Amino acid sequence: MSTNAESVELVGDDVVGNVARAALFAALTGAFAYVSFPNPVSPVPVSLQVLGVFLAGIFLGPVWGGASIVLYLVAGAAGAPIFAGGSAGLGSFVGYTAGFLWSYPLAAALVGAVVHGVGDLRDPADAGLTRLVGGMVLGTVVIYALGTVGYAIVENGLAGAFAPDALARAFVVSALAFVPFEAVKMAAAVGIVRSDAATAE
Amino acid sequence: MTLTYRPGDTLAHRLDPRTKLFVQAAFALAVFARTGPRGLAAFTALVAGILLAGRVSPADALRGFAPALPFLVVAPLARTVVLSPAGSALPVGVDPAAAVEPALASYRVLLVLLVSATYLRTTPVRESRAAIERVVPGRLGRFLGVGVGLVFRFFPLLLADLRRVREASNARLGDRRSLPDRMRVVAAAGVRRAFARSDRLALALRARCFAWNPTLPELRFARRDYPAHCLGVALAASAFL
Repeated sequence: MSTNAESVELVGDDVVGNVARAALFAALTGAFAYVSFPNPVSPVPVSLQVLGVFLAGIFLGPVWGGASIVLYLVAGAAGAPIFAGGSAGLGSFVGYTAGFLWSYPLAAALVGAVVHGVGDLRDPADAGLTRLVGGMVLGTVVIYALGTVGYAIVENGLAGAFAPDALARAFVVSALAFVPFEAVKMAAAVGIVRSDAATAE
Repeated sequence: MTLTYRPGDTLAHRLDPRTKLFVQAAFALAVFARTGPRGLAAFTALVAGILLAGRVSPADALRGFAPALPFLVVAPLARTVVLSPAGSALPVGVDPAAAVEPALASYRVLLVLLVSATYLRTTPVRESRAAIERVVPGRLGRFLGVGVGLVFRFFPLLLADLRRVREASNARLGDRRSLPDRMRVVAAAGVRRAFARSDRLALALRARCFAWNPTLPELRFARRDYPAHCLGVALAASAFL
């Protein structure tokens, strides 16, 4: 039997709170993947994952919001059934919709950076509508850009992926049917921030 | 239907989780580098061997990835549609030959999904977590390890929270409201629950002296891991040859 004599290095109080929030928002984003609404123009239903990404950025800020979504991806890779439709595993990171997954942490960090600016976090309810919506629009652009490129790479390989017609086709097949719903999610996110639903601090 | 760990005593169960992660990553790299039909045939044989090593049925594995499957079929089909083809009066034509390349690409993704399914079936969460904490150095690794454990723990609770909210809302004719309203009601309740649960969790972690250096479960490479390492190295090398 061996003993370990190193001293215990406690996690600071602030960090404990942030780790707990990051983990809970990652779990919430995973649960959102199961909340789906029928999509009238595509057989694939609309789920709320992206709303989870927006909210993580808005409520946790650029650093911990991004970290929260990284946790979401790592937990999914380790086998938690939290990706679209309850799938999981490393395989999801190389499939046709993998680009969307890779974009989520960037998008969350970007939304957080636009809403909070640099420096200390502020109450998202105090951020102006322009910042909130602007941040989410930028996040959406990142998500769909990487999603489209990811689809084109899987279909055509790295060399042929950036041809204009390959990208256009990838966008039509993988993204077009979902874009209108992003506006609905943004409206929902603004509604949540403006209501007293969440008390961030 | 979700792929989850099932206890067992197959070769795939007994391998070290780090070995399995390495072989998975090397396989994905190799299969994306070798795209010809011949290379894919060889990889198919390898995948059959991997599934056998974990006693995973291919049908079960595919069912676990049901949401990804429509894209595998749609991608080659979308490719056959040609706008304003030469020598035809119609604005849209069909070119079956164009589907070959994307069909091979879809098949490649399918192979990676099957390997990934074997990992999920044969690796318990605590082993994946231990592997992450050992592979990723320092505090980042600890954060990821702890976080993954917490996500596994809290995801079912939040999912149940959201289901209850939806049922309660539907019972009060909430399903007749507009789409943005319905999304807002469900998501706002989710955020409220997430914050309440994270506050209680943070308090509990502080009370229990949450530390950066916890005791990790033991992981040790055994002799059976070495052939698997060789396989991983060979796969990774084949991507660059």
